Order: sequence, then structure tokens, then C-alpha cells
Amino acid sequence: MEIFRKKQADGSLSHVELLYQLQQRKQMQFRANVAISWIFLLLILYVLFSGDSLGLGAIQLDTDFIKENFTFIAQGVGDTLYISFLSIVLAIILALLAALGRLSTFPPFYALSTFYVSLMRGTPLYLQIFFFFLALPQIIPWWAQVPGLWAGVLALGMNYGAYMSETFRAGISSVGKGQREAAIALGMTNGQMMRRIVLPQALRFAIPPMGNDFIAMTKDSAMVAATGFVHELMWRATRVGRTNLRNLEALIMAAFFYWIMTLILTAIQSRIEARLGKGDR
Amino acid sequence: MKKLYVLFSLLVVASLALTACGGSSQGGDLLDNIKKRGYVIASTDPNYMPQSGLKTDGKRPADTKCPSDTLTYAEMEGFDVDVANEIAKRLGVEICYATPDWDVVTAGGWADKWDMSVGSMTVKPPRPEVFHFTTPYYAPTGVLAVAADSSYQTIEDLAGQAVCVATATTYLDWLNNALDLNPTDIYAKPPEGITIVELPTDQECPQALAAGRKEFVAYATSITVVESNIAAGLPVRQLGEPVFKEKNAVAIDKKSGFDTAAFLKAVDDAIKAMHADGTLSALSIQWFGSDLTQGLVE
Repeated sequence: MEIFRKKQADGSLSHVELLYQLQQRKQMQFRANVAISWIFLLLILYVLFSGDSLGLGAIQLDTDFIKENFTFIAQGVGDTLYISFLSIVLAIILALLAALGRLSTFPPFYALSTFYVSLMRGTPLYLQIFFFFLALPQIIPWWAQVPGLWAGVLALGMNYGAYMSETFRAGISSVGKGQREAAIALGMTNGQMMRRIVLPQALRFAIPPMGNDFIAMTKDSAMVAATGFVHELMWRATRVGRTNLRNLEALIMAAFFYWIMTLILTAIQSRIEARLGKGDR
Repeated sequence: MKKLYVLFSLLVVASLALTACGGSSQGGDLLDNIKKRGYVIASTDPNYMPQSGLKTDGKRPADTKCPSDTLTYAEMEGFDVDVANEIAKRLGVEICYATPDWDVVTAGGWADKWDMSVGSMTVKPPRPEVFHFTTPYYAPTGVLAVAADSSYQTIEDLAGQAVCVATATTYLDWLNNALDLNPTDIYAKPPEGITIVELPTDQECPQALAAGRKEFVAYATSITVVESNIAAGLPVRQLGEPVFKEKNAVAIDKKSGFDTAAFLKAVDDAIKAMHADGTLSALSIQWFGSDLTQGLVE
């Protein structure tokens, strides 16, 4: 960048500098326009649900109900994030193992990995949650002590791990052959090559789809509530909504919290992306 | 490589052995167990006021024995909730509530995650294959309801129309002409040629009608639900007379790993005592405005 900032002898701007300034200005303008458009879209959404207050005949909501139950529903955010976080950690570990298994030349590992991915992707998440919650104690009695939340986390983690393993595999395959050859030429072992060369580069490709999975998981975590011992966001919203006959208001409140969570997660994801992409041009 | 193969097969064998040694019951007496731990867990789905709902401003007591992932009496309200609490009191233990979805409860095989269902479960086949039932604690009627401004006057007027109902309920069975109750408890046949619209709970039906949806013109549910809908200001009304009477009881899982005989007897005795001393009548009047508990003790 230094080269662009160097002033010419007479103090005027060089052509390179002018070009750079123009680019900067264009980018700023673009960002400002995006922000304005977002505000406009949010305004439309607000008007849509504003009720009769603006005299436009929009969707009417019971604001008293929303105020009364706001904190009760908000208390579910913690559980939702907790379940999603534990599940995503488990999913990442399993996905990495499954992806390595898929790339392994050892038949049992390869078989185990493909079998796991096929089974978990081929059966419904709802069934998997029930398998871990109610069916497993029939063959392993001590499993009955495992709380509903953990059964749910296990199912969610295993399910998403299967999907995510494909993301990881794609990332690993995307690292050029030359990189591996260079690592081997430098005398690295297979493990060193994976840890130091391949995985760091693969991760960069895997981050956006991983962020996607995490966001999807915050909403799928609601299924764990069916076990009866997890009182997360969606569970609270549907129960309060049904018993008060205010489903729409309650679901909109849950949606509001999900959206805020998603916005925060998206921001975190782009920061990680920016960090990992630093060396890239 | 060979070593890896050996390790792999050992792992497979070990995991098979782990599962194979299972299958036996945990053993022990359930009632003893409950008294020892000092609490009993009842399942109830807080989707159904006035039977069961959440008390959103309820504070969990600091000294509760309930496991942290169950709800305490202070956090719940409703007729079923009060009945369960009363049963626990008479067993000399604290009540805790688990809140699984209704279809999970009716399927049985609870893996001892909760001890009993106090969730207005109707005693009818094939449920006795899966559950032990106590003496019924109340008996509401099933009714049909329509939008207040509709022109339907009798149940027969609904012939050929679409009717909404909650999934896995006795009302659904009645609409299908498959309700297996004592014939004297069934007062009317479903209308001819109806289309059934199944929704997750009874509360979605009146809300859909109130919102102006036209997929169905009526819904079948408990009289207690229709009355609470009307009290909540929804534009609906009951259509004709009640169509059947359902006897609802406490259910205990037959697949429990514990010996449940003494527990079943204790809960049954508690309910009989609650019938005899008027506790159930008082609760019924408090929550439903009428006594739905008469004539249930043989």
C-alpha cells in the first residue's frame, strides 16, 4: 500500500493514488447504499406488522401479550444456544473424523465413515433424537440416566456431523495436489502434512458452509424439546402461544430471537472468514 | 495395517458385548424409589389450558427436589397439574413435571424418564396393552364446534364438510368412526362423508377458524376446550349436543424397568380418596366451571 500513498514531488496526487481513491469512494458508496436498502426493507417489515396504527390495514398483533411474555420466551435463548453450541462442537469432531475416514485407504475406516454418513443423512433427525432418548435405554439400561438434553445433543451432533463431513471432504479435496507434493518433498509425514498444510487451507473453504450449518442447527435444536426436558425458545413460544390462542404473536417473538442470533452468528462467521483469508489475494 | 484390523474388530465386538448385556430391567420397586428420592415425575403437555399450561411468571422454589430439567408446581397451572400435585401430596413426595409432546406420551415405552402421565389420557383400546390405568379422575365430553356466524345447526349439517381435529386424540378416532369405547358412552355417529384435517393440537383449529381460513368448517375436541375458546373471545360456538363421553385416567408405563404394582395401587388409592373427599369435584368446578368427576368410582 505504501506505493499508493507516496506523494509526488509537487504535492499533487499520482494517477495510481487517484485510481485508489476512486475505488475506495465507490466501495464506501456501495456500503452506504446497502445499509439504506436494509433500513428500507426493515421498515416494510415493520409496517407489515404494525396493525392499524398507521391506518394501512396491516397484520394486527396483540402487543399486551407480547409484552407480558417477552421475558418468558427470551429465557429460552440460553438453552437454544447451549444445545446448538454443544452439538456443533460434536459435529465438527465427527465431521473431521468422517472426512478423514472417507479419504482413508484402510477399508474398515472408509466403510465406517461412509456407513455413518449414509445412515445419519438417510434417516430423519426426529427419529434419531428419539432413538437416543427412548430406544437406546432398552438395550443399555444405564442410558436411561442420560438427560433428554444430552440425548438431543448427541443426535443433533451426529446428524450434522454427517452433513458437515461432506463439507470438510470438499475442503480437503480443494487443496491442490502441488501443496501435498511440496509437503512430502519437505520430508513431512502424512500427519504433519494434514495438520500443517492441508487442514488449515481446507478450513478456509469450509467456514461459509459450516456457518450455514450452525445457523440451521439453532432452529433444528427446537426438535430436542419433544423429549420433554428441554424448554428452549420454540417450545416456550408454542406453549405460550397455544394456551393463550396467540400462536402468531408467540412465533413472531421466537423468530425475532432466532434472527438476532443469526445476525450475531453471521457477523462472527465473516470475522473468522476475514482472518483466515488474510494471506489470500 | 494388521494391527489396525485387529483393533477395529475388537472395537466392534466390544460394542456388541456392551449392548448385549443390556435388556434386563433396572429392578427395584418404583414406589420405594420415588419415596427415597422425594419426588414423582408426571408428564403433562402444557399445550392444553385449562388442563395444563405454563405459569409464565411462576418462580421456581429454591429448595425444590425436582431435577433441573423438570418444571415445578410453581411454574405450571391447570386441572391436570393440580390433580398431579394432589396425588404427589398424598404419596408424601414433591411433584415435578416433564413436558414431552402428546404423541410421545401415548406411544408408551418411556424408558423411566417420567413415572406417570397425568394428562387427560382416555382409557380406550389399544392403550391398555401399553399402560396400566388407574380409576378415571374425570370424564369430559367430546363435542363439535363451528364458527359463531356459520349456518350449521345440527351435527348432520356437517355431512360432506371438512372437520379439523388434533392428532392422536379420541376426537380423531370418533371422526374416523373408530372410537373403541363402551357403546353407552358414545352418543352420536360422526357426520357422513366428512374430510378430516389433522393439526398438531386442538388449539390450532379454532385459531385457524378465527383467522378466516376456509379449509374446514368445524372442529372436534373436548367440551372444556370449546368453553375456554369461547371464554377467550374466539368467534366459535358448540354445535349440537356432546357426541361421546371419555373417561380420563392416570397412566403408568407397562415397559417400566421397575416393579410398578405398589405405585399403581398407591396412585389409584389417592384418586379414589380424592373422589370421596370432594377434592376432584372442587378442582373440576374451579377449572371448568362444572363437575365432570361424578359416577366414575365403581
